[in-house]
Amino acid sequence: MEEKERKTPFLQLVLDDFMFLLFLGVTIYAVSYLIWGLIELAWLSPIPAELKQSLLGGK
Amino acid sequence: MFRTCDITGLKVDTRAERLIQLNAVMAVVSLLIGVIAALLLVLTRWQVVHLLPVDWYYRVLTLHGLNALIFWIVFFEIVGLYFGSTVVLNSRMSSPKFGWLALILMVLGFLLVNATILTGNADVLMTSYAPLQAHPLYYLGVILFAVGALIGVFLFFANLLIARKERTYGDSLPLFTFGLVAAAIIATLTLASGAIIYIPTLLWSLGIIKSIDAGVYKLVWWGLGHSSQQINVTAMIAVWYLGAFLTVGGTSINEKVSRLAFVFYVIGINVASAHHLLVDPGPSPAWKVFNTSYIMYIAVLASMIHAFAVPSAVESAQRRRGFTKGLFDWLKNAPWGNPAFSAVFLSIIIFGFIGGVTGVVNGMEQTNIIVHNTLSIPGHFKGTVVGGTTLAFMGATYYLIPLIFRKKIAFFSLAKLQPWVFGLGIAVLAVSMYILGAFGVPRRHYDITFSGGPFTYTFNPATDFFWVLFALGGITAVVGALMWILIVVYSVFLGEPVRGPQDMQLQIAPPPPPKENHGFEAPGTLTLTLLFMGVFLVFLLLNWGWLAAMWEVR
Amino acid sequence: MALLPPEEGWYYKKVARDEKMWIAIALVVCLTLFFWMVVWHVYGRQNPSFTTYRTTPQEFNALTQAFIEKYKTGEMNGIPVVEPPPNSDVFLLGKMWRWEPVLVLKKGQEYRFHISSLDLLHGFSLQPVNMNFMVYPGYDYVLTFRPTSAGEFAIVCNEFCGVGHHTMIGKIIVKE
Repeated sequence: MEEKERKTPFLQLVLDDFMFLLFLGVTIYAVSYLIWGLIELAWLSPIPAELKQSLLGGK
Repeated sequence: MFRTCDITGLKVDTRAERLIQLNAVMAVVSLLIGVIAALLLVLTRWQVVHLLPVDWYYRVLTLHGLNALIFWIVFFEIVGLYFGSTVVLNSRMSSPKFGWLALILMVLGFLLVNATILTGNADVLMTSYAPLQAHPLYYLGVILFAVGALIGVFLFFANLLIARKERTYGDSLPLFTFGLVAAAIIATLTLASGAIIYIPTLLWSLGIIKSIDAGVYKLVWWGLGHSSQQINVTAMIAVWYLGAFLTVGGTSINEKVSRLAFVFYVIGINVASAHHLLVDPGPSPAWKVFNTSYIMYIAVLASMIHAFAVPSAVESAQRRRGFTKGLFDWLKNAPWGNPAFSAVFLSIIIFGFIGGVTGVVNGMEQTNIIVHNTLSIPGHFKGTVVGGTTLAFMGATYYLIPLIFRKKIAFFSLAKLQPWVFGLGIAVLAVSMYILGAFGVPRRHYDITFSGGPFTYTFNPATDFFWVLFALGGITAVVGALMWILIVVYSVFLGEPVRGPQDMQLQIAPPPPPKENHGFEAPGTLTLTLLFMGVFLVFLLLNWGWLAAMWEVR
Repeated sequence: MALLPPEEGWYYKKVARDEKMWIAIALVVCLTLFFWMVVWHVYGRQNPSFTTYRTTPQEFNALTQAFIEKYKTGEMNGIPVVEPPPNSDVFLLGKMWRWEPVLVLKKGQEYRFHISSLDLLHGFSLQPVNMNFMVYPGYDYVLTFRPTSAGEFAIVCNEFCGVGHHTMIGKIIVKE
């Protein structure tokens, strides 16, 4: 806390840089929630053929 | 372009001030519609009265959701964003023209949405889950509103960039504005999600796109629906800090901690849109657990930090003024006659003990099984967005009226009472809804006697009692909200002007003397937060115990 | 100072002892909550399922009708009653505004439920046990249930599906 020359610490730079925070927030959300979620929905497999066979027979 | 405020000494950009006033007026109009709708809904769901016919019930429910949960809140947030990025920073509005464009788009959207709902062309509830379809003009209205709001958010960032370049503040933003930064970041991705889902939905309603996948719609929609509530939480907490500062001169006892907590929101709070997909066919449990936990509960940690930081700011300031006796002398001697203070304090209590506690249980993957789509869900968010956000915003307006509208608060003794009436009503309403949900009562349901259905089912007779509480709480809350609307409208349009500091009814507290004591800075707050933790853990264990008694499922 | 820029040196201010204590407690609780959900997947007996198949309303309807035909034992208020054997695949469809079929199950036995919708979203809300799941068109949600209590249970629809929503109620009967 003395008078010695002090550079602004890295974390404070992050806290003060609102445009970086904007980038951070949007990216994490887009990757973790949107993209991951949509990929999983797109990759669902169809109902197994054996199960369909057992109910519908040869139809 | 500027006037200097004779009360705060801040420079006020009069062009921003005009936009702040108009957005605030639209916020109040929206809330009025939302409140009238709320009364009709309470009197319909309480089946002793069962006021509305079935189609009007769902219509008014749609109307209520959009006006109370979207229009009121977003208009008010735009007020906050413009205020926090110009007046607070002694800076100017980057582009008043775009400010007007934003306002016009939002008002157009507001009109289109409400018109399509009231003419029966959008009985789809707020979520409008595809393949349920509304009139194209409804989707267009939502899009216009969202685009307008997005322009408002971008103006906020542009204002900040100008202020930074012109060095109207030091290196770091004031904490209130920093909180708004977090809210605006969340708003950006929220509104972007809205565009991603509503534009294809509009095209689908016009017949240009053939179908919309139900799962994709719900996933992206909640990126809008839930994140918009996270904007509310974040803006509310910024208002809490503001309230502590204005009413008792309290400042966060550690700004670094408070700021980090806001960054935790930016990182973790958005992905909790997953709360709405926990018992859905997709995505996988891995996605659900990771996202529903706000990335390992980093955002819950942030909320708990704020829950300590705001009351401790008040406590620390009060103790330095000499209210050092015992644990709670500072609280007893708080300015309870100031409606902004009581509103903020009640908002903290209701948000924490009702909204927060229930929110974590609802948002855990497995316990969601016993609450999903029951009345517990709206019970929970009556605790967050109504008892929390709305009440905090109401408190903030008691400063907005004299400082921005330059009018005295009309019916001042009524204003002192108003936060209590509204807070009490909402608390009773929220708790009774939560309990009704625990009995399995569904939300968004016209008739829980299932008349006309092939079978029937009778809920536990204890629910009759809680329905009465529900009605009492709901009507009390409506009265509290109407009191506020009356005070605000009368003050703004018919009130006496504020000519200078002598006309201020609410004091702006001077900074307290510097700190002397050592050791614990806020023992009273620590006691309160530990009590909160105890309640939270008991509630959590009760719910998990209850879940364990259900049928087995995997 | 919420309205003013923070005072010089705010970054270096020490965190008060009580605030530190509170943050530590909160952090422990938060991490516990997260790992609790993971652990419950291993040891708990109530978990949302890992299995969902892509389907279409036509396909799912055909499968359900074949399932009903195979195990039908009667009718109740115009809705077929079906008694599938334990450990089998059970099909339940929601449509505006019916749940089909009525299921007769045995207590303590496992059944692989396949749940889907023919039109809009519906909510599967089992009462009075109060277990709630979402039902989508185009998605076959596979939930393996083991009823641990006997009696008559209602399936209330708890997702809005049009003006007849409140009449959408189905039935599951669990025998000892």
